[in-house]
Amino acid sequence: MNAVNENVLFQVQEDAPENPVLEETVERRKYLIFITDDLRLGVNAEYVVEIMSTHTATYLPMMPDYICGIYNMRGQIIPIMDIRRRLGKPPAEVENLLVVLNYNGTQLGILVDSVEAMLDIPNASILPIPSQSAQKLVSGMCTLPDGSGTMLVLDCDQLIPHE
Amino acid sequence: MSSNDILDMYIYETNSLLEQLETIVLDAEKEDTFSQDNVNEIFRIMHTIKGSSAMMEFDTLATVSHRIEDMFFIIREGTMSVVKEEDRPALFDVMLHAVDYFRAEMEKVEAEEPLDKNVDSFLANINSLIAKIKGEEPPAPAPAAPAAPAQAAASAAPAAPAAAAAAGGGNPDFPYELRVFFDDGCGMENLRAYMLITSIQSFCSEADFLYDPAGVESDASTSEQIIDNGFLLMFKNAGDREKSIPVIREAGSVRSYQPHDYVPAPPQDEEEPEAEPAPKAAPAAPKAAPAKPAPAAPANAQQHQKESLISVGLSKLDQLSAIVGEIVITEAMVTASPDLKGLHLDAFSKSARQLRKLTDELQDVSMSLRMIPVSNTFQKMTRIVRDMSKKLNKQVKLTLIGESTEVDKTIVDSIGDPIMHMVRNSMDHGIEENPEDRIAAGKDPVGEIVLSAEDTGSEVIIQIKDDGAGVNDEAVLKKAIKQGIASPDAEYSHKDILNFLMAPGFSTNTQVTEFSGRGVGMDVVKSGVESLGGSVSITSERGKGMITTMRIPLTMAIMDGMEVSVGSSIFTIPINNIRSTLKVSSGDILHDSIDGEMVKIMDGYYPVVRAKDFYNLPGGTDEIDQGILMWLESGDCSYCLFVDELLGEQQIVVKPLPAYVNSFDIKNYGITGCSILGDGNISIILDAGGLFAAARGA
Repeated sequence: MNAVNENVLFQVQEDAPENPVLEETVERRKYLIFITDDLRLGVNAEYVVEIMSTHTATYLPMMPDYICGIYNMRGQIIPIMDIRRRLGKPPAEVENLLVVLNYNGTQLGILVDSVEAMLDIPNASILPIPSQSAQKLVSGMCTLPDGSGTMLVLDCDQLIPHE
Repeated sequence: MSSNDILDMYIYETNSLLEQLETIVLDAEKEDTFSQDNVNEIFRIMHTIKGSSAMMEFDTLATVSHRIEDMFFIIREGTMSVVKEEDRPALFDVMLHAVDYFRAEMEKVEAEEPLDKNVDSFLANINSLIAKIKGEEPPAPAPAAPAAPAQAAASAAPAAPAAAAAAGGGNPDFPYELRVFFDDGCGMENLRAYMLITSIQSFCSEADFLYDPAGVESDASTSEQIIDNGFLLMFKNAGDREKSIPVIREAGSVRSYQPHDYVPAPPQDEEEPEAEPAPKAAPAAPKAAPAKPAPAAPANAQQHQKESLISVGLSKLDQLSAIVGEIVITEAMVTASPDLKGLHLDAFSKSARQLRKLTDELQDVSMSLRMIPVSNTFQKMTRIVRDMSKKLNKQVKLTLIGESTEVDKTIVDSIGDPIMHMVRNSMDHGIEENPEDRIAAGKDPVGEIVLSAEDTGSEVIIQIKDDGAGVNDEAVLKKAIKQGIASPDAEYSHKDILNFLMAPGFSTNTQVTEFSGRGVGMDVVKSGVESLGGSVSITSERGKGMITTMRIPLTMAIMDGMEVSVGSSIFTIPINNIRSTLKVSSGDILHDSIDGEMVKIMDGYYPVVRAKDFYNLPGGTDEIDQGILMWLESGDCSYCLFVDELLGEQQIVVKPLPAYVNSFDIKNYGITGCSILGDGNISIILDAGGLFAAARGA
């Protein structure tokens, strides 16, 4: 058994240099899929720092209502945004999760209802949003590979303004 | 000691400016042109070097930088196009040469060696380049240029050896020399030398040794000679010198001594003029004198010159204070851990107290590393005022207030230039030319410049105030129009006109002087202060004088704050801003006509700001009797902030708010940062001044 396994591994390594052409054609990215107010949103997993279940936001005055406050994550101060309110929806009554993102050096925590899965999605399958129904904060959409539904791709550029 | 500090600062500053200059020139050489920004920058660098060198009385340096400044003045006026293509390499050469020259001179200053007095050939170089740039062919540019250096060399050459001879002393009858240097700035060098003589006399007859300079016991002016050249002892016999070495070693304040044997000087030629610099004499010493301690002495001397200062990168200090901050928080978390509740741990509490004491100390030290008093910068100004009042023949006294105010190192570094420019401006343009004018205006014939620093807890306010003639609005406007800064048709208010003073390229003085007058001053001040996140404002009243106020925010990593709560929110107010706290009943609250509230404390009325209402906080009390009033002061505002309760005083570590949050202009509402409390919660740091300004505006 061992010998066979080794053999296979070896082969994979050997094959690797021949593959790039193929890999380039099917570029994939990992997406973290989460649910917020019945919407299935995905965010590029590269930007996700961590997911936390318990958190206490310190209220920060004079901020837009979708900023719940700031949170102390191991000495780092992170602003927390309620994605529901950001999308103009009523705030959730139930306990929610905090997804901490780091987009180009800016950290932001977003409150979501629940996290569903981490999926590999080929870039090509992400389609632009139909212009007549342009959504806030969404840069594209795609049908999930398992056919369970549609995912909207969260547009971090819009979500996290940066210089 | 303080003059040494000034010297250190001067060397450090000039060296960093030179570094900057070199990069600019090298980059520009690649492009084969200076951009207008580069030209401005070089101009400023030269202006600063000129000013500070003149202040330190390094006249040659001031002269050279003045000429270079002149050259860039022409280039700045006419842009780089005035320099012909074929002259550009020469320009870059001259600039790089200048960098090398200044560097070499700085090294000499550092080593306390005499400066190169012969700068004429270099000046001639610059002058001929200026002539070329101007495009005017002076009567005989070619012969003039070489003639000047030749002449200079001729005049300098005999002077230098003469100096060397004087310094070297030397007497064939007393060939065994010993040169003694005293500690820098120990004072009374002549008397110290005299004490050496008396102790040597105890074992060596007066006829067997000589000393130079003579007359040390009565002539205090020999001190300077001793500082520059050392105190020279000349012995007839080598044995006497051997005996005197231990005496000298034991004498106080002796920095170093060098035995040296007199060699009949060959006819002094070109190689000699360096007036026997200390390090060069050292290698000769062991050879000539087999005295064992001798070789060690010069090494000691060099170590001494390095002083006990090291420069540390600011980023390392930042890192240090960040870690210390974390330690303070962690310490609080450990000692106040909920796991310990209800336990009686004597040994633990004892160790915890010890730990607390140590962390407090650590914190103080790490903070003090970055904080330095402004007194050094202020002291520099005394010198400027003194020198300028002599040169300009104006009688002015400088009053310093709040010299001991401590501010962050970065701030001190950057306020030096702006303050210097402002003081010069006041000296040059502010104070009246004739004392008669002042008397006629009912003022003290002696002008006064007041330089003050004040720490309000959230910002440092530096004020330069003179009681001179004030700003002449019409003259300023006229000048601004002439310079193309103002339009001749528009109407300008007094305030607008004062702002013209800070526009680049503006200067009301028609004459260019050594100190100011080319309009580099004020815009340097403005850009310098703004780069610190501060602001500059000018107020002036005709005939009364002018006040320049610089407000610079403090970047304190750790500060003392009072924790207060409003509902579930916790705020920290800098202790420095708190005047007192008071409990009042609703009957004490007075209402004004615009729905505002006031309270009478002692003999004054102060507005009341309710934190809950102002910040729209979800919780908190509305009943005046149930909360507490904090009487806050910042700068010139004084008011009361109504909060729920006081939680206690605490040292906190200031953390900046995330950039994302700052993009919502939260700073304008008096929220400057936050801090992590011992239990991991966050408190929000309030800026008393900003809060009041926002509440007023709202």
